[in-house]
Amino acid sequence: MTTPAHSPTHSLTTEGLTKSFGGVRAIDGASVAFHEGEINALIGPNGSGKTTFFNCVTGMIRPDAGTVSYQDRDVTGLPPHRIARSGIGRSFQLCRVFPRLTVLENVLVAVQPHGLLQRLRGSRNPADVGRARELLARVGIDHLEHAEARDISYGQQKLLELAGVLMGDPHTIMLDEPAGGVNPALVDRIADLVRELNAEGRTFIIVEHNMELVMGLSDHVVVFDRGRPIAQGTPAVVQDDPLVLEAYLGV
Amino acid sequence: MARVAGLLALVAVVLLFPSLAADPFILSVGVVILSYAVLATSWNLVGGFTGYISLGHAAYSGLGGYATALLILRTGMDPWLALIAGGLIVAAIAIPVGIASLRVRGASFVITSIALVLILQLTFQSWHTFTGGSNGLRVPRPFGTEVLRPEQHERFFYLHAVLLALALLTWWLIERSRLGAGLKAIREDEDKAQALGVPTFAYKLTALVISAFFTALGGGLYALWFGYLDPIFQFSILVGTYMVLMALLGGVRSLFGPLLGAVVVGYAVEVFKSQYGDTQLHLVATGVLLGLVVLFMPDGVIPALSSLLNRRRGAASIREVSAEELAKQREEAAR
Repeated sequence: MTTPAHSPTHSLTTEGLTKSFGGVRAIDGASVAFHEGEINALIGPNGSGKTTFFNCVTGMIRPDAGTVSYQDRDVTGLPPHRIARSGIGRSFQLCRVFPRLTVLENVLVAVQPHGLLQRLRGSRNPADVGRARELLARVGIDHLEHAEARDISYGQQKLLELAGVLMGDPHTIMLDEPAGGVNPALVDRIADLVRELNAEGRTFIIVEHNMELVMGLSDHVVVFDRGRPIAQGTPAVVQDDPLVLEAYLGV
Repeated sequence: MARVAGLLALVAVVLLFPSLAADPFILSVGVVILSYAVLATSWNLVGGFTGYISLGHAAYSGLGGYATALLILRTGMDPWLALIAGGLIVAAIAIPVGIASLRVRGASFVITSIALVLILQLTFQSWHTFTGGSNGLRVPRPFGTEVLRPEQHERFFYLHAVLLALALLTWWLIERSRLGAGLKAIREDEDKAQALGVPTFAYKLTALVISAFFTALGGGLYALWFGYLDPIFQFSILVGTYMVLMALLGGVRSLFGPLLGAVVVGYAVEVFKSQYGDTQLHLVATGVLLGLVVLFMPDGVIPALSSLLNRRRGAASIREVSAEELAKQREEAAR
């Protein structure tokens, strides 16, 4: 669906990415390369800079130093909508939907028109609505189409957020704690969705604290501590890394 | 069907009002209310869609009035051409203003919008040679002297109605468009909208420029009717506040909200003015009204009423349904 004809070997890559808040170096010269076409996980203790890293990469905050490139294109400091347009979709840690828009309208926001005429086109045209409904059915909330987003449950909002991200048809999807605050059955459903979407050629970068999920799902794991990667590799390799054990357990 | 009937009824009321109005004074009140409705609906093109609350929209109506008057006086332009040219000039002025002010959100945006009005008020008061300064500016009448006062009121009543219809149509068209979907997303959560690929800054600026254009036309048309411009009243925080109050009262997320608000507030203001003369009592009443709306109908009258009448939405089950159950439901529905 979105797999480019040339298969780029480099997904999202950062070089010496740095961001400080006051005296705190939230990200400290992080150089990371995520794997194209795989499910990448980004883990680390609380406060290790994962979310700040996400925000820097997606343009929500501007890094102090370093570069971000995506598929060999420099995207450092681009505004979030340009990064979204380059093919990176993201979810937020505390899931964010448009509370007073309906579930269907929420998804339609992510349609990416080009040029003035397309933007003036009706938002509820059959093609867009059809695709939005397909995605809602895919994440399993199509029965809520007309409900306002603020009225549905938190788990459903998480699914809605995912449907919205998918509407933009991103090649790479960054999820910030997709399993945070949702019940176990829903965690399984989200994990299944991620696997399916990955099988269709989409790359994932997932921040997650649920270790069972991370280890079961991901192909490549990057471990952050104090704003920089301390280990990367397959789940098996990372699990046994002494630096990782130290960061997590403080031994 | 009910919607079409409602719309036709509204059109009929507007068209019949001049012949039903008891005397020219009532008709002039009608013109004032329609003018408020134009301004509040124009304000809602940015306030309702993006949630950026501008308390300084009088800047655009005032500039529209002055631009129209000065074009007629200084270049001898046809008044109707001057009105439209004035609107375009103000829309162009709104571009740099928007680039500067739309960078900040919330209270900061409100304050920059107020600052703009105050700057313009001082400028137009002091710049005697160009604007007439605090003596004001007499605006030539577009209709000849043979058109008497009641006739003037009637013509301007219909002109304002046409402008209002255009502003409402624009709002309606944007509301249905992809642009409108993006604008509403900005209102709900700007960062999230941008993360989904909405070019938020360009969208906000577009909305502001369109809003400024219609607000300026409203100001210009009023100037042609009233025939006199005073910088104190043209660039007044109060006028800008009225636009916000009217839109909030009726409901900023509905097409006819600002119109309803303009009818209620405009009528109330006129009643207070005629009953209590030059006292500031109408300001007190306005304040009380704003307080009541915010406390009891934060979404405005129209959304409050429609949610009372229409509980359908609340009835939708949000129970979590498994993927299998959903598939089964779909199968059954297909059968």
